[in-house]
Amino acid sequence: MIGLRQVILFFTATCFFQLLILAQETFPVNGVFNKNHNYYAFTHARIYRDYETVLDDGTLLIRDGMIVEVGEKVSVPKGTVVFDLKGKDIYPSLIDMYTNYGIPEVKKMPKPISPQYETTTKGAYDWNQAIKSEFNAVSVFTIDRKAADEYLKMGFGTVLAFQKDGIARGSAVVVSLGETRENEVVLADKAAACYSFDKGSSYQEYPTSLMGAIALLRQTYLDGLWYKNNQKKTEYNASLLAWNNLQALPQIFEVSDKLSALRAAKIGKEFSIDYIIKGIGDEYQRLEDIKESNCRFILPLNFPNVYDVEDPYDAMNVSLAEMKHWEMAPANPAFFEKKAIPFALTTADLKDKNDFWKNLRKAIEYGLSEKQALKSLTVIPARLLGIQEKVGRIKKGMLANFIITSGNLFDAKTKIYENWVQGNRHVINEDAIPDLNGNYDLKIGTDRQYVLKITGEPVQLKGIIVAGTDTAKISAGVKIENRSIVITYLSPLGKESVRLSGLITEKEGKPFFNGRGVLNSGEWVDWVAIYKSDLNEPLKKDSVGKEKPVIGEVYYPFCAYGEPEGSKSLWKRYKERQHAILIKNVTVWTNDSAGVLKNRDVYINEGRIVAIDHAIKPLKTAFAVEIDGTGKHLTAGIIDEHSHIAISGDINEASHAITAEVRIGDVIDCEDINIYRQLASGVTSCQLLHGSANPIGGQSALIKLRWGQSPEAMKIEHADGFIKFALGENVKQSNAGDNYVIRFPQTRMGTEQVYYDAFTRAKEYQTSWKIYQGLSKKEKTEQPAPRRNLGLEALVEILNKQRFITCHSYVQSELNMLMHVSDSMGFKINTFTHILEGYKVADKIKAHGIGASTFADWWAYKVEVKDAIPYNAALLTKMGIVTAVNSDDPEMGRRLNQEAAKSIKYGGLTEEEALKLCTLNPAKLLHLDKKIGRVIVGSDADVVLWSDNPLSVNAKAEKTIIDGLIYYDRDKDKKMQEDIQKERARLIQKMITARKAGEKIQVK
Amino acid sequence: MKAIKEGLIFSLFVNTFLICPQFVTGQNKSVLLMNGYAHLGNGKVIENSVIGIKDGKIVMVADARVIKLNPKGFDTVINLSGKQVYPGIIAPNSTIGLVEMEAVRASNDIEEVGSINPNVRSQDAYNADSKIIPTIRSNGILIAQVCPRKGLLPGTSSIFELDGWNWEDALLKGDDGVQLNFPHLPIEKMQVDPPVLAEKKVLYEKELQNLKKFFLDAKAYKEVENQEEKNLRFEAMKGVFDGSRKLFIHVDYAKDIITAISFIKELGIKSPVIVGAKDAWLVMGLLKENNLPVMLGRVHDLPLRPDDDTDMPFKLPSILQKAGILFCLQNEGDMEVMNSRNLPFLAGTAEAYGLTKEEALTAITLSPAQILGIADKVGSLETGKEATLFVSNGDALEMKSNQVALVYIRGKQIDLNNEQKDLYEKYKKKYGLK
Repeated sequence: MIGLRQVILFFTATCFFQLLILAQETFPVNGVFNKNHNYYAFTHARIYRDYETVLDDGTLLIRDGMIVEVGEKVSVPKGTVVFDLKGKDIYPSLIDMYTNYGIPEVKKMPKPISPQYETTTKGAYDWNQAIKSEFNAVSVFTIDRKAADEYLKMGFGTVLAFQKDGIARGSAVVVSLGETRENEVVLADKAAACYSFDKGSSYQEYPTSLMGAIALLRQTYLDGLWYKNNQKKTEYNASLLAWNNLQALPQIFEVSDKLSALRAAKIGKEFSIDYIIKGIGDEYQRLEDIKESNCRFILPLNFPNVYDVEDPYDAMNVSLAEMKHWEMAPANPAFFEKKAIPFALTTADLKDKNDFWKNLRKAIEYGLSEKQALKSLTVIPARLLGIQEKVGRIKKGMLANFIITSGNLFDAKTKIYENWVQGNRHVINEDAIPDLNGNYDLKIGTDRQYVLKITGEPVQLKGIIVAGTDTAKISAGVKIENRSIVITYLSPLGKESVRLSGLITEKEGKPFFNGRGVLNSGEWVDWVAIYKSDLNEPLKKDSVGKEKPVIGEVYYPFCAYGEPEGSKSLWKRYKERQHAILIKNVTVWTNDSAGVLKNRDVYINEGRIVAIDHAIKPLKTAFAVEIDGTGKHLTAGIIDEHSHIAISGDINEASHAITAEVRIGDVIDCEDINIYRQLASGVTSCQLLHGSANPIGGQSALIKLRWGQSPEAMKIEHADGFIKFALGENVKQSNAGDNYVIRFPQTRMGTEQVYYDAFTRAKEYQTSWKIYQGLSKKEKTEQPAPRRNLGLEALVEILNKQRFITCHSYVQSELNMLMHVSDSMGFKINTFTHILEGYKVADKIKAHGIGASTFADWWAYKVEVKDAIPYNAALLTKMGIVTAVNSDDPEMGRRLNQEAAKSIKYGGLTEEEALKLCTLNPAKLLHLDKKIGRVIVGSDADVVLWSDNPLSVNAKAEKTIIDGLIYYDRDKDKKMQEDIQKERARLIQKMITARKAGEKIQVK
Repeated sequence: MKAIKEGLIFSLFVNTFLICPQFVTGQNKSVLLMNGYAHLGNGKVIENSVIGIKDGKIVMVADARVIKLNPKGFDTVINLSGKQVYPGIIAPNSTIGLVEMEAVRASNDIEEVGSINPNVRSQDAYNADSKIIPTIRSNGILIAQVCPRKGLLPGTSSIFELDGWNWEDALLKGDDGVQLNFPHLPIEKMQVDPPVLAEKKVLYEKELQNLKKFFLDAKAYKEVENQEEKNLRFEAMKGVFDGSRKLFIHVDYAKDIITAISFIKELGIKSPVIVGAKDAWLVMGLLKENNLPVMLGRVHDLPLRPDDDTDMPFKLPSILQKAGILFCLQNEGDMEVMNSRNLPFLAGTAEAYGLTKEEALTAITLSPAQILGIADKVGSLETGKEATLFVSNGDALEMKSNQVALVYIRGKQIDLNNEQKDLYEKYKKKYGLK
């Protein structure tokens, strides 16, 4: 039914009456002036002054596009045009604060063949093409009558318009949807500043990644401050100037998912900016964190359509996360309301704007209150944009922007009759079309008398004619045009065609038609139809009064193998108290001087290992889970020194040779299924590394695989900072194709120079800050602070031993080279990762105290791994170098214990030595060995219970424990799989039902 | 104990060698391997075995406790002292010898121009001197099917034993089958815009039609005995219709497997083999009904979908085993050539997730031999088969104990050294390590 109503709404042409010409002071007039300062009064209406105040019988008085008075007793001056709105409602017109209305689309140029490292924007603008703060939407805004009509039909009167291009998108403009002249509809020229993580039309390489976009924004905030405070600056930068000027405006940030909403909020927190975040509608999946971000939101209503799941094989390709989102997305606004997070609603992201009302009603059906809906479409956006004194309410002194409806705006049956913008009337639906449904006595000429039954909606009425004496029914065409009606039919024998045209009027409050018609014979006759009775048919049920739909639970994380919120989940347990666990009679691989202990009990409490002994009695106070470890093995959790799982966006900021400013910690993806898969293989911690696209890559994140928790909660507390360096073919772009030959360096010679240059600059940077900080207060007022540089700051941290290098490396020459650079520049290399030719310079590596993290047996995939040997790990270990095996691969990350076992085969390490390659040694390399990597009293309870000797191909992780919590349990996994199947089955059933009920198919 | 005693008795009579990796011979002398724990590859074991090799063939496989023999009939007698004996592991669906260094274009011979190239043959490009081969061989992989890759019909594969002066020498079975990368119905992903997806589907339909047309044409071509004008592509397809060449159909997703099966039926393919089949668990009935052998995709892989059983790739072999489907393991994927040496560990994982040890071994020895049609020559330790086998100090399916001590290919003892070992020894010496 909703759909049908919508059709009507839009079939009716929007009519536009220009009743008032506002004063356009500066414009000459061709002809005579047409000044009109009349009053218009709207009487006897139910007036929603705002989302919470209603006048049941009110009068609204407007003049010159403004509201003069509103109230129950308003005196109407002489010379007022009066509209009697008895039985009708007036609402403030709606505000959409996220549109591209009237802004031309930015056309993307063809991508250049060679990588573009510098901006192609001409002029004194920012170095980065995606920073377009100098752009003002008002400068390109033009009225778009077609688009305006679309918004008017939906009930909007005011919109914010911005240009969707770039990371800093410049200023947005607030306009009314008037159709007079741009000069009149612009309500606020610079109303907000817009941002995103998407570089848009820019082909400049930087940033190639999400973390690069974050770094670019952070650096630009610093540059803005520097530009503002530095009176002796040596450059003019129109973008930074504009950037600073826009800071006082509302700051709107568009993101692509809930995690990026949190990322934007984090930037906001760092620079004290209260972003208004334009989300995508999945925020309910991590609402606690969204709430804690303290941001305000703009929410779209583009709920996913139902998936085609009738073919069970097709259904397999729709993930549980997608199915659940289909079910739960309409409840997103209701979730926000319940949590009291302020939000505006927008039509943005809707592929078909016709879905706006349908989806808004759906959101209401799913629990959003009508009051909140109205608030989120009027007062909230007005307030967020600082235009609350102009629009959003029906209030004296505000713009005459309001809509007239047939009743409650949110009722599916309600029609919007008129949308007034700045005192200009736009007729959306003819309000005078009465409901014509009913039985009529139809008299044609003198001798024909029938019963005419009219059913259906005004645009597609149907007629049935029953002859007075006959039971035969003839269908008749019924067409309404303005106030006239046309009825046509063929007589029972099919021989006589009758065409009637008449006027619709009313008699005693009931429809009445009369007019002239032509019979088959060509004879003109009079006809009349008099309303006789109701159809007396039960009304079809529609959404009104429906019960609130039942939806599933939010999973943490929101995917298969996540935990339902309501169940006694890890999520909740974490917030409560830590569990105690007692593992009985198990073989313990301590990774310590005690070696391997047989038949011990291990007691875990408060996240720590508190006792390892024979026959431990559980403490009375703790509700210890007891696990029988007979025949099983307990080891420290596996630590993957080189992992790229759980990262949103590209793992490389593959643009500049030095990108020390980017941080993996900004882009942790806590919902990557590979986290769970690795837990299932005994992995408890990872170093999430930047890729190897540049000599100096980004900063690492050290995480524990706390599945279900937020990105920030996954980070290991108080861990040292690490950073990725890289050498060889990848940084020379040797295998990147023939177009990637212009970035410095293209050789190992150039790579060395990149380091010398970087650390030379870092030292100078450090000196300049030291000098500045040594100045007196007075001197500081005269001497501007040096420009902060996030990249150089990371390098200074390296020089100061506050950040540690993991360097991707293969051949001996480059290993040697970096050791020389580090010696002469005064920094230390923490780890060579890959280090496949490490065995050739093991003595030098040993002398430098550098650790190694290598592949067990990879080689032969490129020239620089030609001399890689699987004996590397064993040889380095025997040389006394702290050595780890790593995965660099989500699949191999599932078998690191087996990869470690290969060093028994290749090079003859002992089993204990081999196990340390993937446990204690990576812990040492990551400076975490005081807490993790051993099974000893006092260490973190990050342990794995194996079914077998952990170095055997037969060993399966049965329980993976982090901080004393069981994050993976092989027995529970079985049940989880069953639950996933059940939940999928429930949703598939629901989808099939929805599809049968006519819901559109989602193209994934 | 009795068996060992017998072994000792024999050693009194003849010149017995203990295993020594430096032991190298080139000639096809006769050899008797004694007191080894023999895994026959057909599911059986002989805990204390005697295995006789003569003229490149296995002439005897017997239980030392019951057989009486005269070791004098053998030039060399080796006491294995309980070590493990296995038939040579077979690497089906590999690119061994076609790729030396992935990133170096000049060293790659796997992909031809165009999409339909059944006439292109791997046997002519196989590099018997690949530096990777010795590193694979020294883990017990002694036979490889070598396949062209990419395109719809990338070419015709051949099977080699991993020893030989040249490809001709190494060839075990030339032109064993035609490779087919079955078209993949595009799966709708969020990232793909609907128009792009629609285009992809159109391309898919077109590809499928082209494929059918090619097969129909090739089949019709075959009917005429002496074609005046030869079509090399059609010529190469002849065997696919009379069963003398297998058709290896690479296909992973359930829906594609179903389409492939109807394709097989419609075109009357005589000896089809399904390769990959990561979704096999969803179409078990169909595979079984149609008697289709499966060369299973890499066991060490991630599940296809986020909702799938985390262990699915590990469990799939045992699922197929329980269903009674003939299957073997293979290793197609990233860095597959150098990774071929890990094939025994794929079987090890299959064992951990449900196969018995001997079933796991069968999946890399006798089963691939049967599927490739070479089981009359290799795949198990049986009298009359080629003496292509190896001895490991410990369980060869375990990383930590796979220590290959002896390798015979066609009865010839193989040098187990490789460049990697050389480098290791060289640098151990440099640092004075033992």
